[in-house]
Amino acid sequence: MNLLVALQIGLREIAAHKFRSFLSMLGIVLGVSSLISTLALTTGIERGTRAFMQQVGGLEYVSVINKEISNAKFEFWNLSPGRTLRDAVAIKSSAPLISHVSPELSFGGVVSAQGHSDRKQVRGVFPDHFVVARHELKAGRFLTDLDVDRGLRSAVIGDEIVTLLWPGSTAGEVVGRQLRINDRPFEVVGVLPKYERDEDKRRRATGKSDSSSRNSRRWDPFRGKNESILIPFSTMFYEFRAGAFPMDSMESVRLDGLTVRIGDLDKFRPALEQIRSALDVTHRGVDDFDLDTREEWFDRMESSIRATKLSGGLIATISLVVGGIGIMNIMLASISERVREIGIRLAVGAKGQDIFIQIIVESVAIAFIGGLLGVLAAVGLMEILKLMAPTENVPIMTLGGIVFSVGFAILAGFFSGIYPALRASRLNPIAALRYE
Amino acid sequence: MSLIHLDGVSKFYRVGDQEIRALDSVDLRIEEGEFVSIIGPSGSGKSTLMHLLGCLDAPTSGRMEICGNDLSRASQNRLAAVRNREIGFVFQAFNLLPKLDVIHNIELPLVYSGLPAAERRARAEKAARDVGLGDRLANRPVQLSGGQCQRVAIARALVNNPRIVFGDEPTGNLDSATGEMILRMFQDLNAGGKTIVLVTHDPDIAAISRRVVEIRDGKIRREYAP
Repeated sequence: MNLLVALQIGLREIAAHKFRSFLSMLGIVLGVSSLISTLALTTGIERGTRAFMQQVGGLEYVSVINKEISNAKFEFWNLSPGRTLRDAVAIKSSAPLISHVSPELSFGGVVSAQGHSDRKQVRGVFPDHFVVARHELKAGRFLTDLDVDRGLRSAVIGDEIVTLLWPGSTAGEVVGRQLRINDRPFEVVGVLPKYERDEDKRRRATGKSDSSSRNSRRWDPFRGKNESILIPFSTMFYEFRAGAFPMDSMESVRLDGLTVRIGDLDKFRPALEQIRSALDVTHRGVDDFDLDTREEWFDRMESSIRATKLSGGLIATISLVVGGIGIMNIMLASISERVREIGIRLAVGAKGQDIFIQIIVESVAIAFIGGLLGVLAAVGLMEILKLMAPTENVPIMTLGGIVFSVGFAILAGFFSGIYPALRASRLNPIAALRYE
Repeated sequence: MSLIHLDGVSKFYRVGDQEIRALDSVDLRIEEGEFVSIIGPSGSGKSTLMHLLGCLDAPTSGRMEICGNDLSRASQNRLAAVRNREIGFVFQAFNLLPKLDVIHNIELPLVYSGLPAAERRARAEKAARDVGLGDRLANRPVQLSGGQCQRVAIARALVNNPRIVFGDEPTGNLDSATGEMILRMFQDLNAGGKTIVLVTHDPDIAAISRRVVEIRDGKIRREYAP
């Protein structure tokens, strides 16, 4: 007997007992739909988190920070010049695994235009900053080497600053306008887009206001980026810093920030080593700096994704196994109902293995049909989830998730069919024929 | 070479501590083209003998050859293969599958011979026409009379063109007129060269055959030609 015939017999049997078949499928339907939904939900969370990680600079983003000198080297503290532009030059020239270096100066100044003003953080940067901080551009241009070389009064500003100074104006209109920083005029050359998390974007799109007390207290990781006021490093130094410490040159002024971007994540550790050895030279062996990476932070996010995946997958798997047990139950019942039929099939020449195949195929067919219904149910479930929680991460159904879930259902059907099929195939033809 | 050749065949069953000798050293030969009846009261062992001859079971001891196959110690799978190829059954209770229509009931043995669907269909249709049911192919057994059901069973028994056809009280569930018609079909089959083995408790039915084997207490008590 070939599989096709067994499939025909099985499907006929399923069709002949529609309600019973549906009941036995129900467990699989629920199992598959919950497995697909769980996979889709965690995929959504995973995508959202990864997108967020990219937006905040990714793992490539490494920050050089100040550190207390260890006791052993405390007496040499004054040997080190601290973080200066020389560090940036040293990293650029002797750390080839680092693709971009962004030293910066900052100070709190008063920005004003058209009668609006506020005290904001102003940062002096190099063009590399836009790569290291993963900035995008809404209108105009980023700062260039020319801006830095000539110490031009150019500024690139974030979305919040546009709203503050020119409420109601678009990014395109703002480019070319003038703003004042501590009363010195600067020209807006570029405007950054509004950075926000996917969920905030959706919250805005669905018209849910951000004003509820719960939401406004939420930590916004992009607040700093949205409030950016970026001017050339040299302009910052000469306009706002040079007078403060007359001894300082631009090369020796202490930086307020030094961040770099690692070119190739596969060489993450060697890249960190290269930074360290470059800075060891410029800091004259004084360990007053440290490297702040996002490994731990990202690791925590990754492991929480894994935990979500695992627990969701486990629950869904259990429900699939329960579904399989349901099939086994129904198959056993259906066999004792069909002893006589099996006896007749044996009498006309069916072998034990023919009966075995027939029962297994039927069991797998039930699971497969149940799996397909489960896919449909999952699609519906996704829509309900989106309606109920529109601001959460959008669940993403992947073909892989669907194939995996249906495949798992088929496997459950196969294994739960084995025992009933064995019992059926071992029936004695004479006893089965006599069975009433 | 006989079609059926039993040599000292016994079949014992164990029920609890007791050993039941359903068949006790039976010797029997049946040649191709014979029409043999096996008669005996219930419990005589005639059903057991039919199960052995019909390859539904293997003997406990002795030598059994059916259609040239030594089945003395055969496995269920081997019995099934011989049964499928060489033997057709007609039962008292018809034993049709209620869920299947006439044509699918008839082609059932061919499914297990591994024939392609088109050939199964053609052969089953021919068998149905041969028993006069060419116009009832799509009917279910419940829509047929007892006589029609038994004709479906005969068509099913013949569809694989077996060498031996067994009738196990084939008229037991039928009225006498229909029963006579079924018996005539067996006679016609025999006239066409088929070997027929009829199992019955009724000597009048056995009288249509040319050789009667009477079984009692697991042994062949006598053989005669009616």
